[in-house]
Amino acid sequence: MTEQPADAEPTGKNIAGEAPVAEPEAVTDDTTVHDDDVELERTIGLVGGLAIGIGTMIGAGIFVFPGLAAANAGLAATLSFAIGGLIALLVALPTSELATAMPRSGGGYYFISRGMGTAYGAIVGLGLWLGLMFASAFYLVGLGHYASAVFAELGIGLPFSPVIGIGLLFGAALTALSIGGTENTAKIQNVVVGILLVVLTGFLSYGVLDAVGVFGSGTVPEQFFSRGYFPVLTTAALVFTSYLGFAQVATVAGEIKQPGRNLPLAMVGSVLIVTVFYVVTIFVATSAFGAERLGQFGETAMVEVARDFLGLPGAVAILGAGLLATFSSANASILSASRAVYALSRDALLPRKASEINLRYGTPHVALLAAGGPILALVATGQVELLAEVASFLHLIMYGLMCVALIVLRRRSPEWYAPSYRVPGYPVVPAVGALASFGLIAFMQPASIGIGIVVMLVSYLWYRYYAGNVTLKGDV
Amino acid sequence: MTDRPSILVPIRVLEGESIPEGVPDLLANGHVVLLGYHVIPEQTATGQAQMQFEDRATERLDEYQAMFEEAGATVERRLVFTHDGQKTIDRMTTEHDCLAALVPNATGSVEDVLVAVRGTVGVDRIAHVVAGLFGMTDASVTLYHVAEPDETDEDVGTLLDGIVNRLKDLGMDASRIETRVERDQAAFDAIVDAADAFDVVVMGESDPSLATFVFGMPADQVADRFLGPVLVVQREPSEGTE
Repeated sequence: MTEQPADAEPTGKNIAGEAPVAEPEAVTDDTTVHDDDVELERTIGLVGGLAIGIGTMIGAGIFVFPGLAAANAGLAATLSFAIGGLIALLVALPTSELATAMPRSGGGYYFISRGMGTAYGAIVGLGLWLGLMFASAFYLVGLGHYASAVFAELGIGLPFSPVIGIGLLFGAALTALSIGGTENTAKIQNVVVGILLVVLTGFLSYGVLDAVGVFGSGTVPEQFFSRGYFPVLTTAALVFTSYLGFAQVATVAGEIKQPGRNLPLAMVGSVLIVTVFYVVTIFVATSAFGAERLGQFGETAMVEVARDFLGLPGAVAILGAGLLATFSSANASILSASRAVYALSRDALLPRKASEINLRYGTPHVALLAAGGPILALVATGQVELLAEVASFLHLIMYGLMCVALIVLRRRSPEWYAPSYRVPGYPVVPAVGALASFGLIAFMQPASIGIGIVVMLVSYLWYRYYAGNVTLKGDV
Repeated sequence: MTDRPSILVPIRVLEGESIPEGVPDLLANGHVVLLGYHVIPEQTATGQAQMQFEDRATERLDEYQAMFEEAGATVERRLVFTHDGQKTIDRMTTEHDCLAALVPNATGSVEDVLVAVRGTVGVDRIAHVVAGLFGMTDASVTLYHVAEPDETDEDVGTLLDGIVNRLKDLGMDASRIETRVERDQAAFDAIVDAADAFDVVVMGESDPSLATFVFGMPADQVADRFLGPVLVVQREPSEGTE
């Protein structure tokens, strides 16, 4: 069993007189140890970690984006997804190193606040919390589209579009469900992800064989860059939301068994797995219909692709999978958002009351409601692309800063910084990861960037007002 | 043999589970590993529960620790917040090398101890627990074995005599040890029926066979039906886990 020293003590008090909770004394494979023999058991294994990562990512990328992406970039959307995957990988590697050095709840927020100071931490932490809300809202709108398609499939004509209504309904239901304390949420997530991967593997194998001509129809008709080169990058910026899941693994880093081994494997592994699935999916989808028609199908284009290949059963299977996937993504994001609130209130950046647990169910009802309410408001806007981009923006800022934090920590090399996994190709990999993360932002819509900047500004002002005296940065 | 056997006492400290009457005296000659644990649902971070409940739990554990120490036991303690109580209990057992875990139920003064013996496996650990806890008391110990149909009287005799000798080696008075053999009965029902006449039951942890997987561990089932405390002697830690 390995034991490693924990980080330096945070100091200071916020406006309500609350000080950050003391850091643990040591971290082992099975526990986080605090003084007086108080331990926090680590109970999530590698499979659980992978399920969180893959489960969060796979919903958006495969089920909501193919139509939108193909409309923007044509067949080259495959390249957009590959670029997104590459950037995710460049960030996942440094994140892994940071996570093995600091396997604590809070993920990116935690690493940045300890590496670069409270102000950066506050911006990222509050930004992450809000970013997760935008992401959840995006998933829920996607879920609404899939549920509407189910109605259409059943031949039930509705006089209005039920997309937003269904999104709101599921948003409220998920919040209630997580407050009510469903047992075995992690096990359900594992099973959902397993089913998804099986359905997709079958579907994609068939699709690839069809696309390359084994079954005769043989259609890879298009010119690759049918929309030019620039849209490849803007599309990469749009679809990057598909890759937001790997960092969610780090938000539960405090509960992962053998963190030194399982955290890097879960993060890097889930990025690699979903990248392959995404790229193949877009390839199959665009070869089936051509970008033009695929784009017209919008958010549920995958259903039409499945119908084209396998008829009604295919469409039904993909509808079901799409519902499951968007549901699990939204669920995972809401839970991560409440973990973010916990990390912030532990460090006195939010009132301690925010992470209070309700005695009856043992769940953090304040944090869950604080996430659930705004999510519903965001869902009501119904702006799929805007929601996705704002979520991406806020996460990309965090990813970029994590890479910077890694470089800062390596250079200062404080005593407590002893990662068991070290990123290969230092300093090139984290530097490129940071540049790529910040660079991708440039290709977003101005509206998304504007909203993102406002969120960051508000976060900073909140920190100055509420917790200006709190110091979280570890000493040298 | 003077070392005290390590006994794990797991308590769901925030859910009203407490140390029942008689238990501190029962373990007066043991080394108590007092585990206060709190199981929280997966959507809550373990640290969140710690932030809120640590003080309250610590206060209770202080009380319990004092009760055991007053009775004469040595005490070591842990407070754990977990999503998975069984994992925590298993880890504690290994880390502190506990010979047995206690399923705490109230008891009066301990006069009769029922020791359910299944086979030769784990006999040495059972003997250590029994001799360590009850060797210095006046309690009488009954070794109880439910024989399999193909087991001869001779086999049973060898088994039980072996344990009696082992207990004598560990300093127990042979006159206080009785043996009882049961035939033609399902082991589980036999133990539960017999247990009624005793104050405490000591039994081995079952192998995780399919039956125990489906119906739960028999030791737990005995503990459910028997009103007194049950000491579940843990399996030898498997090779290579240290």
